[in-house]
Formats: sequence, structure tokens, C-alpha cells
Amino acid sequence: MSWRWALARRVAKLAATDGGGGAQAQRLLPTSSAAAGTGLLGRLHMPLASQIRSKVVGCRGAALVSSRWLHDAQYQVRQDGASRAQEQQDPFELVADELSLLANRLRSMVAAEVPKLASAAEYFFKVGAEGKRFRPTVLLLMASALKFPLSESTEGGVLSILADKLRTRQQNIAEITEMIHVASLLHDDVLDDADTRRGVSSLNLIMGNKLSVLAGDFLLSRACVALAALGNTEVVSLMATAVEHLVTGETMQISTSREQRRSMEYYLQKTYYKTASLISNSCKAVAILAGHTAEVSMLAYEYGRNLGLAFQLIDDVLDFTGTSASLGKGSLSDIRHGIITAPMLYAIEEFPQLQEVVDRGFDNPANIEIALDYLRKSRGIERTKELAREHADRAVKAIESLPDSDDEDVLTSRRALIDITERVITRTK
Amino acid sequence: MLPGRILLAGLRRSASAASSVAQSPKNMCYWDRVIWSSRYFHSASDNTFSEGGSKAKELPDPFALIKDEVSEVTDRLRSMVVAEIPELTSAAGYFFRAGAEGKRTCPTVLLLMASAISTDMSDPIVGLENKPRARHVRVAEITEMIHISSLIHDDVLDNADTRRGMDSLNFTVGKKLAVLAGDFLLFRAFSAAVALDNTEVVSLLATAVNNLVTGELMQLTITPAQRCSMDYYLQKTYYKTAALISNSCKAVAVLSGQTTEVQALAYQYGRHLGIAYQLIDDILDFTGTSASLGKASFSDINQGIVTAPILFAMEEFPQLREIVEQGFDDPSSNVDVVCIESVPFSFFLVLKYLQKSQGIERTRLLAAEHAKLAAVAIDDLPPSEDPVVLSSRQALKDLTQKFLRRTK
Repeated sequence: MSWRWALARRVAKLAATDGGGGAQAQRLLPTSSAAAGTGLLGRLHMPLASQIRSKVVGCRGAALVSSRWLHDAQYQVRQDGASRAQEQQDPFELVADELSLLANRLRSMVAAEVPKLASAAEYFFKVGAEGKRFRPTVLLLMASALKFPLSESTEGGVLSILADKLRTRQQNIAEITEMIHVASLLHDDVLDDADTRRGVSSLNLIMGNKLSVLAGDFLLSRACVALAALGNTEVVSLMATAVEHLVTGETMQISTSREQRRSMEYYLQKTYYKTASLISNSCKAVAILAGHTAEVSMLAYEYGRNLGLAFQLIDDVLDFTGTSASLGKGSLSDIRHGIITAPMLYAIEEFPQLQEVVDRGFDNPANIEIALDYLRKSRGIERTKELAREHADRAVKAIESLPDSDDEDVLTSRRALIDITERVITRTK
Repeated sequence: MLPGRILLAGLRRSASAASSVAQSPKNMCYWDRVIWSSRYFHSASDNTFSEGGSKAKELPDPFALIKDEVSEVTDRLRSMVVAEIPELTSAAGYFFRAGAEGKRTCPTVLLLMASAISTDMSDPIVGLENKPRARHVRVAEITEMIHISSLIHDDVLDNADTRRGMDSLNFTVGKKLAVLAGDFLLFRAFSAAVALDNTEVVSLLATAVNNLVTGELMQLTITPAQRCSMDYYLQKTYYKTAALISNSCKAVAVLSGQTTEVQALAYQYGRHLGIAYQLIDDILDFTGTSASLGKASFSDINQGIVTAPILFAMEEFPQLREIVEQGFDDPSSNVDVVCIESVPFSFFLVLKYLQKSQGIERTRLLAAEHAKLAAVAIDDLPPSEDPVVLSSRQALKDLTQKFLRRTK
């Protein structure tokens, strides 16, 4: 239960470092304007850390607690006179407005240039299929989390304009990342019998093979143009590497040999390439655009990498368990496609006989049942969850190692990033 | 044919630069024969080469020099596409294998262009030790990778079984891996472009890539009205064929630090050359190796692609327009189309009208027009005394004529 203590520790630290036992109220609004704002509602007295510890039932609990006292804060005297809406401390909400902006921009760009691809545009920042919004949210939060402090006196001045420009460029990274991601989905779907991807009808089926290949090409070429426009060779290099990794990962998946299928190392490498590389390289790109040092950029990279890996590992578990806690209620699409994931690999370590079952292939549904049986008996699911937890913890550590900052936006965003790692681990679909 | 080959073989042996690529006349693709024949034209009168001199004829043949560089381009490309997974490496490198390289028009044009606009008098003999030259060679490599990447995807889109006289990549490794290999090549090219550390060059190449896709999209999403429009066709042709070579030519000029005027001229040369090339391609799709109709592949018309000859014919015969609109909307839906040996009757009608019309001739004229404009662009380049520059420019102009005269 280390994460709860980490969260509580963090909250307590904030309470302690601020003189007088109070803490700045957190800015809960989307930080679409780059200039650092003043405190939201003045100083509040935060519940003692011990109270939080006893009340904490999950990160949602912490959110409830904070929203409860913020609700009380409505009646506090407002410092700067600005009135702002109350929002729950949902990390996705923090950047929701900004995200809609980007989504609309991308959708209208696609719709304007190639109307026939308008259905492809639906894939961008798709809400609902929960997996899809993580990426851009993480990137925008990372951009906020890495902001250099601006002093109050420069508000509206040159530095603030530069900060806006930087924000736009970082938004472009989010857009580019999304374009690359959707393009890879489209190309991965080619000739797969993937008729649904995360509950959304595969574009391939709707548009036909040709158009989906072309749509992917279109997106990749627009990403190239956008990358070139950023004019930063290191960033372009990073994103090009990410694309290469995506391609390599997919190739690894379709051309896995028997020996490789047994190897946890191979599997983790493939997982890194397919899932984590894009987000980790984009996080690093965001840091580089902001002009951070190599160390800080690496921390951003580490966050992305560990988050991505944790995400995929939980994904693998959910493919077996689905929304119920019990095994076999998931879609089982991995195993049906002959893709051996972490839980199964762990199970094979415990039960070598399972290897034979796996080698027989899973065209026969009876074989799937046998494999699931072994999996049930083994600690495969648990060990996978533990590994995911480990990666989530490393991601949190990366955020905590970032250079200190007093800026509220920065702190809120960092908290949100930590919150996200939690959600990744505890999600049920 | 045989005596000619012996003569050419003799000339090749006496040429200064020995080609390391083994080429038997049988395997020689069209472009290499062009190179041989033009080497013949250039150095026919004398077998001895003199240093310096003011006449282009007396210097080492630029095609020979270029040919070696072009071969090295292909060799290096093989090493540039090495991936972590062997399957990906072999798929990506499929068209760089010995014997599979094709015409290599792109690198040839680019390297000649680099020489043609060069203002560096201190280094008359081009070589890879020369750093600026190395960067031009990089552009040639990048362009070739982008070109191959687009070919690979085109074959997937068209479901083509063959390419360059051998099995297409998608036929060999499947559609999915072919698509992935194309993506891989594209971004390898992009990484290499970024390594040149010139944002304008990267921008130009990104634009070219974008144009390639736009051209394909224009083809796929074409409406009946657009199908009959010459403007639409020429725009699509520019995107699909000329955009890459024109932007790369400009990139070469940018890398050389040339003025905007020279950059524009390089761009114009590439643009007109590309369009001329495609127009002749369209003719050959009907005429094939002989001057008369009927001995060719007809692949364009079979895929419902309306090209310049048909468009010109449609201007003369409005009835043809109706047939085209009817027949090509959706071949599979024309259930009551009369077929002769599984070929729709409309196909024969189209050919008949084409034969009656001036379609082929007018297309040829248009191609000649573009070839002339390309040559004019070369002539407008700033004057130079350097013999290598002059012979490269001459070679570029000869290229335009070669394209016009090709028969396959």
C-alpha cells in the first residue's frame, strides 16, 4: 500500500512546508494560459496529514477530501477578485479544455484537407475508450509540470509571450504524438482480423484496407511536416525513433518465433516498443522543447516509459479478467490471437507443462480453457500486477525527482501525473 | 545489337572509373542502357581523356563518374535500413538488393544537379571525401528511400504482384509487413534528413512526402467530374511523380548555399522533368514497346485511371467522356456491362476513340513542352567555366531528351 503513504506523504509535505500549517489552495483550472496566476482562493487550512491517512480510501478519497474543503473554501475571501468555477481534482479535467482545443484543431485539419478521412478523424482524442486520452493528457500535464517559474512582474511581458509560444509548441508535440499513434493503429489494423479496437469499430472495416493505409500515410506525412516546423532536430530525432520503435514492435509481434514467445525479456522489449516508446519519447520531447537539462529530460522520459509499461501490463491482466475480478471474463483477444502476455509467461515459469499447451496454439478453444486453468492456479496475474505496481512507483519517483518548484500549476500538474499512475494501476477496463 | 554491345563493352573497359557493380547486358535495366548509350554519344570521338581543357567532350564522362556514386548510394542504402528485426531489415532492403535497384533515376538526377550548380572551383573532380558533396549524396539517399517507401505502399494499395520485373514486396512478405516496411523507410529517411541539420531541407522533404500522399489520395477519392479534368490530372501528376524530385533538387541547391533564384531553377527543372516523365509513362501504358496501340499493359485504364491521352481524346470526342464516366465509376457494379473474354466492352470503345483521336500525339507534344522547359531552367543557371559543371548541365539536358525518346 505504498502509494497511499506516498500520496499522504506528499500532501503532508505540502502542509508542512507552508508556514502556519496552511497550504495554498490548488489551482484546479485547466492551465491553458501560460502565465502563472495568483492563488485561487487564498490560504486554507488543510486537514492534518493524520486525518487524511485515516480517511484515505483511495486516491478518489483524497480527491473527495480536497474537494470537500475546497467547497468550504468557496466562502473564503477571494484574494484577487477573480471568480473561478469549482472543479474536482480530476487529472483529466485539468487539461480537458486544452485537449478539446487540440482535438478540434486536428479533426478540422483532417476534415478540411481530406473529407473522406473525416471518419478517421474520429479516432483523435477519442473520449470513452479510456485508453485513448491518456497520452495527450500526460503530455500536457508534463508540459505544465516542467514549467520554469515566471515572476509576477513579468506577467504580460516578453517572457509571458515566450511562455505562450512554448506552450503552443508543446501542444504540437501532443498533436504529433496523437497523429503518429492513430497512424500506427490504422497500419496495425491492416489485414488484422481486429474488428474492434477498444470497443470502437475498426476503421479498417469501415473504410476498407486501401483508405486506412492511406489515412495512416496521410497522418504520418502531416506529422513529418509538423515536426519539421518545430525546427528542433533533437525532438524530430526522438519522434522518428518512436515511430521506428512502433514499427519494430509490431513486426516483433507478427514475426515472433517459438523461442522468443517464451521469453519475458523479449515480451517486455516488444511492449516497450509498442506501447511505452511513443509516450516516453514524447515526454522527453516536451522537456527538451522547454529547454531543460538532459537530467530533467531523462526524468520525463522515465516517467513516460514506466507509465506506458504499467499501462500495458494492466492491459494484459484485463484481457483475462475483464471488468470482473475473475479470470476468463475478459475479451481474451490476446490469447486468441496467439499473443502470449506477461501473466501467461509468469504462469509458464511456475508450470512448465503450460509451455506445451501454449505451443499447441489456441485455435482450439478447449486449449484456451486448459491454459486459463493453469493461469488460475498460478500467481501469474498477481505477479503481473506487482510488476505494474513497480513501474508505477518508478514513474512516481521520476516525478518526485524533478527540480523543486513553488508554482501552483507545476505542483498541481505533478500531483496529477502521480494520480494518473494510480489510475493506470487500479483501472478495471 | 551484338556489335553495338561489344563496342560499348570496349568503351567501358577503357573508361577511367571501373564500375564495381557487376552488370551483364542481359540484366541491364533501361536506365543503364541509356547511360551506356549516352556515354557513347559523349566520348565516341576520342578514347583518350585530357586534363582540364575547355570543351566538355574531352573530360571524363560525367555519367561514368555519377554511375559509381550512384552505385555507392545503393550500397550505403543497404546499410542504412538495418533494423533490429531481421524480417524488417530484409523487407525494407528488398529494393536495394543487387539487381533490384531499378533505374535509380532519382539519385542520378540529384547528383548531376549537385554538380551542375556547384560553384566550388577548387574541387573540380567530385568525390566523397569532399564534405559538401557527401551531403548531396545524403539527399540522394534520402530521396531514394522516400521513393521506395512510396513504391512499396503503392503496390500494397494497388494489390500489385510485380514490380521491376520481380515479385512485389507485399506479394513476398504480405501486406502488413510491406506497410510497416514502408513506414520504417520513411522515418529512417526522415531521421537522415534531420541529421543534415538544415531545417529548410527537412521542410522540403516533408513537403514532398506530404505531396506524395496527397497525390495518392487525390487518386483514390476522385469524383467522376474530377476524372475528366486535365487540371486535376496535372495537379495529381505533379504530386505523385514530380513533387519528390523537384523538392529534392531544390534541397540540393539549398544545401549548396545557392541563391533563391538558383534554388527555384533547380526546382523547376525537377518539376518539368517529372511531369514529362509521367506523360511519356502514360503514353507507354497504351503503346508499349511498339508505336501502335495494343501491345502494352493498359494497367492505368484497367484500374480506372484516366490519363492524359484519354483526356485529350475526350476533348475531341465528347461521347468518350460518357463512356469513361459510365465505365469507371465502379467496375464491379456494372453488372450488365457486355464483356468480351472478361474485358468490358467499354474498354475497346475507349481504345477505338483513342486511336482515332490525337490523344497520344498531343500528350507527346505536352511532354516535349515540359522537357523544353526543364532544359531552359538549366540554361538559365548562372554561367560557369567549370568543365564538370558544364558537362553535368549537358547531361541533365540530355536526360530530358532521353525521357522523351524512351520506349519502355
